[in-house]
Amino acid sequence: MRFHGLTLTTGALAAFSAMMPVSASADAMADAQAVLDAHRVVPEFNPLGSPFDATACMADKSVFSIPVNMAIPFNVELQKAMRRAAEDVGFTYTTWENQGASDSWIQGVNQAIAQDYSLIDVAGGLNPEMLAPQLREAKAAGLAVTTTHLYDESQEQADFVDASAKVDYRRAGEILAAWAFVETAGKPNVLIIGSDDVLPSIPFVEQIKESLGEYCPDCKTRYLNVPVNEWATRIQSGTQSALLADQGINYILPIYDSMTQFVTPALRIAGASNVGMASYNGTPFVLDMVRDGTVQMDVGESLGWAGYAAVDAQMRVLCGLEVPESLGIPLLIFDASNAETAGVPADFDSGYGDGHISGFRKLWGLEG
Amino acid sequence: MSVVETPQSNRLSAEILKKEFERFALLMAWGLLFILFSMLLPDTFMTWRTVSSMLGSQAVLVVLALAILVPLTSGDFDLSAASTLVFTAMFLAVSNVNWGWSIGASVIAALLLGGFIGAVNAFFVLYFRIHSLIITLGLGTFLNGMTLWISDSRTIAGVSMKLVELVVIKRLLGVPMAFYYGLAVAVIMWWALEYTITGRKLLFVGRGREVARLNGVSVDRVRATSFAASGILAALAGVLYTGMTGSADPTSGLSLLLPAFAAAFLGATAIYPGRFNPVGTLVGVYFLITGITGLTMLGADAFVQSLFYGGALIVAVSLSQLVRKRQPQNFG
Repeated sequence: MRFHGLTLTTGALAAFSAMMPVSASADAMADAQAVLDAHRVVPEFNPLGSPFDATACMADKSVFSIPVNMAIPFNVELQKAMRRAAEDVGFTYTTWENQGASDSWIQGVNQAIAQDYSLIDVAGGLNPEMLAPQLREAKAAGLAVTTTHLYDESQEQADFVDASAKVDYRRAGEILAAWAFVETAGKPNVLIIGSDDVLPSIPFVEQIKESLGEYCPDCKTRYLNVPVNEWATRIQSGTQSALLADQGINYILPIYDSMTQFVTPALRIAGASNVGMASYNGTPFVLDMVRDGTVQMDVGESLGWAGYAAVDAQMRVLCGLEVPESLGIPLLIFDASNAETAGVPADFDSGYGDGHISGFRKLWGLEG
Repeated sequence: MSVVETPQSNRLSAEILKKEFERFALLMAWGLLFILFSMLLPDTFMTWRTVSSMLGSQAVLVVLALAILVPLTSGDFDLSAASTLVFTAMFLAVSNVNWGWSIGASVIAALLLGGFIGAVNAFFVLYFRIHSLIITLGLGTFLNGMTLWISDSRTIAGVSMKLVELVVIKRLLGVPMAFYYGLAVAVIMWWALEYTITGRKLLFVGRGREVARLNGVSVDRVRATSFAASGILAALAGVLYTGMTGSADPTSGLSLLLPAFAAAFLGATAIYPGRFNPVGTLVGVYFLITGITGLTMLGADAFVQSLFYGGALIVAVSLSQLVRKRQPQNFG
């Protein structure tokens, strides 16, 4: 009996364990698909803060924004959107034109203090720690300090910063992981390419690994860290080496989509035409590459929406209101099925709808 | 009658042996590096796929290094080479994608532009007698601005697939054509420097301008030609760069300048030690990429690659100097 019992128990366990991966895998596939489905619809506007009379409160206020580098189209478009929002409300908004040199950022802060602006915003990836002495001086002079589109929601802002319009990079990481899992039919062997010198990269990459680990604990991931100023020289050779070292790699996730232009030749040279690629940022030339099939998917965010949300956060700081923790910009999946909605050729703001404009205008008391 | 070996002839043969060792030391180091990684990664490193991948990926750097090598040989620096690469690559992309030019016309225009940029460098350096470092730095920065202007600071994708096919998709012996273009430029340049009067004049001017002038060499003409050649080759590197990616972006190619100089200086320790030479440069580029590929396949962090890159350059040049009994450097 004992022998029988043992046999039965072993048999039941074997049957159970044989079923487990199937059921876990099915759940994982459904979970991953649900993540993707949630980001396939054109987003609706959901206000993150309470309504307020922006025109009255901002009547004597002004904002001075220092982007990391106005030679980067992302920054140009973000600034344009912020300026549009400021014009809508009717307050003075100045963009400090610069080409990414630290001395010009410092000069910008000094200008803002000298000209009695109400708030200094460092935008588009500029880390306020790099200007800590100058920004502390600005605070001492009575100016508020904010950051736009820098920190992940899980990251703490510098102690001298009043508020940060944060981005949900972890969510983007979840989407990329889900996409790779679904596209490889639950058997991803992924090469992630990131840049640890860019502040939000670490939580972003962590999230991709965590999500993939949850979907399939045995799936392989490999991480290639390439500092931003070495993208042109290291991404291609690094990708080729990774593909040669592990010929089972079936998906590549460069976390910022401008990296894809250096991954493409690596795939061609290594003869890895069956390896897919997905990324994040919604940069127009990459959306064009999605349309022509070179890149399979790009997670985009509306920079028009981001600009309005950033100005919303700045105004709330100056009006003494509670500031939402996040920019709340929805992320939208662009793949072969909808890449054309981003424009032909693509641009930074098409495909997301314009519900945010009337939404913010109502929130700010500009329309009923 | 028998030949009697004297201490002097022994010394002479030891000297010759040492010189030969110096000539081929980098080549041997490259071979050793290859064997080392083959032993560490027996299943993946020592495969034709890996070799073809390494050969096919470095053509842009090879051609850019050869571009700066021409003025280096005649004693000038061209710091605008990477900017010329980026500007001509962007011009090619903008003219092909946005203006609708045929890919052939865009490539020819890019090469002509490269030659024109070289001529502008030559004019300011030679007419105004300004050091090449200053002029090429200035013109390079100017070109960076022009690149941002014509591209509206954007990456331009969608360059004709004909170019991409000719550069990276078509293969010979499994190796992308880009490799053969770089190889062809290196071989032609080696032949020109060794066997043509113009090439010998270039070396002569690099060794001593005043001596060359007193010997009837038109030094200014030689230097002007070297700048123009540098511009055309940098533009060719730009064409290959665009062909590799099928796109052009306004900044990232600039980071190729220092690796190109590193390859040129590393190459000057091999084949013809103490002299910038195309074959040595070719060996230098592939020595470095072998190390980087092996380290990446072993899973080394990004910083290890930089340590290897910088360390290899310093060690190679220092060892070469030890063999030469620490004679003062006079590259040219």
